Amino acid sequence: MNIPGNAYSSASASDLAGRTARLMMYGLLAVVLMTLDFRGRHVERVRAGVIGLAEPVFLAIESPFRLVASLRANVRDYQGLLAERDQLERSLRESEARLLLVDELVDENAELRGLLDASDQLDSRFLTAELRNIDLNPYSHRVFINRGTRHGVRSGLAVIESAGVVGQVDQVAARSATVILISDPDHALPVRVKRTGLRTIGYGSGRIDELRLTDLPMNVDLEPGDLLVTSGLGGRFPAGLPVAEIVEVRRPAGEAFAVAQAQPLARLGSIRHLLVIELEAPGPLPGLMPVDEPEPVVEPVEDEA
Amino acid sequence: MSGRNASNGLMLLTLALGFALTLMPLPTTLEPARPYWVAMILIYWNLETGRLRLLGQAFVIGLILDFLTGTLLGQHALGLLILVFLLERFRNRIRFFPPWQQAAAVFALLLNERIVQLWIILLGGHGWPVWTWWLAPVVAMLLWPWLFLLLDSMRRRQRLLRS
Repeated sequence: MNIPGNAYSSASASDLAGRTARLMMYGLLAVVLMTLDFRGRHVERVRAGVIGLAEPVFLAIESPFRLVASLRANVRDYQGLLAERDQLERSLRESEARLLLVDELVDENAELRGLLDASDQLDSRFLTAELRNIDLNPYSHRVFINRGTRHGVRSGLAVIESAGVVGQVDQVAARSATVILISDPDHALPVRVKRTGLRTIGYGSGRIDELRLTDLPMNVDLEPGDLLVTSGLGGRFPAGLPVAEIVEVRRPAGEAFAVAQAQPLARLGSIRHLLVIELEAPGPLPGLMPVDEPEPVVEPVEDEA
Repeated sequence: MSGRNASNGLMLLTLALGFALTLMPLPTTLEPARPYWVAMILIYWNLETGRLRLLGQAFVIGLILDFLTGTLLGQHALGLLILVFLLERFRNRIRFFPPWQQAAAVFALLLNERIVQLWIILLGGHGWPVWTWWLAPVVAMLLWPWLFLLLDSMRRRQRLLRS
């Protein structure tokens, strides 16, 4: 550098060397931490502890925005409220009418399951949740909701909104939790193509409006517009929830597998109201079958053979 | 002694405000262009009062940011570390720049920080960010003179109250 003066420059040179050494040391530490965080579970545990500490901070930051929102709700005009009430009532009626049909389907389903001697349908409970007014880093693919252990939220519960699957609960604090979105590159969701019944896995792509299906066979029967629903494998998500719509199927020459891109149906970028699904399994969770349990049907057949 | 403490209090308060502004909800389209508030506040205190000059302090502030925003642990820490290191090298010159030139220096520092972040984001397999993401240093540059004046007046008022 063009620093005049001999003594001064030599002093600052040694200073600079020390600083550079410290920069290297801290930089290395940061890289090691990032690597651990990226691959390992150790940092995850620290994070889970820290979210409890950070929760009051989040609540404090959120409070002014909540105050503004409640003030704005207070000064909303009467006509607007009436119109909104009418609209809500209409949509409630429609939903009720549709529910009547569903009720019948549920009965029918139970009967059919009885005939088939199949296991009981999982009974699921819903818990409504709202996004907290906190913007996490857009690259973390996580959102912050206002339900926590107080309300019975556990890590791993499925989270949906009216249009489709959103993600699953990741870290839980007393009154809030983070939800990992299905678009996170670390997230994989067992899905089924509704038209063909093909089961595969939808991976997050790191983009909020895209899921990826890799490892599809080259001759796969899949077209843009096909609907993906949850397959229920893995036991985290109930089967049949809408997930995404296929946008593009590519069969790159020279590759072993076809790949497809799908657009999530849930508006991951702009959701506010969510539902946390609590599965109440009548026994062990499906998909998490213990390995040591013998398959009751297979063995007698083998004896006879 | 008490003056130094009070001034420290003001510094911590502004840093806390910086964290709050970082987590403040914004519309999705504007969100990527959010200026790096904490870095700007850190640069101010570094240039004007010579505090927060240690690399370790930048590292800790970065870690707090990582925990709050849910990024990879060390991502913001590395960015701020490099930023403070560069700032220290050019500190004696930047301090006496006229405001618009100082804003340009802040832009350069924050752009460099974005490049470090981009490197980490790409390594993490997240893909390229949207183009508005690159607006953040520009927004910071435009805001810098006003932030500078605001913090300066806050500091001056506090000094008057003390005496």
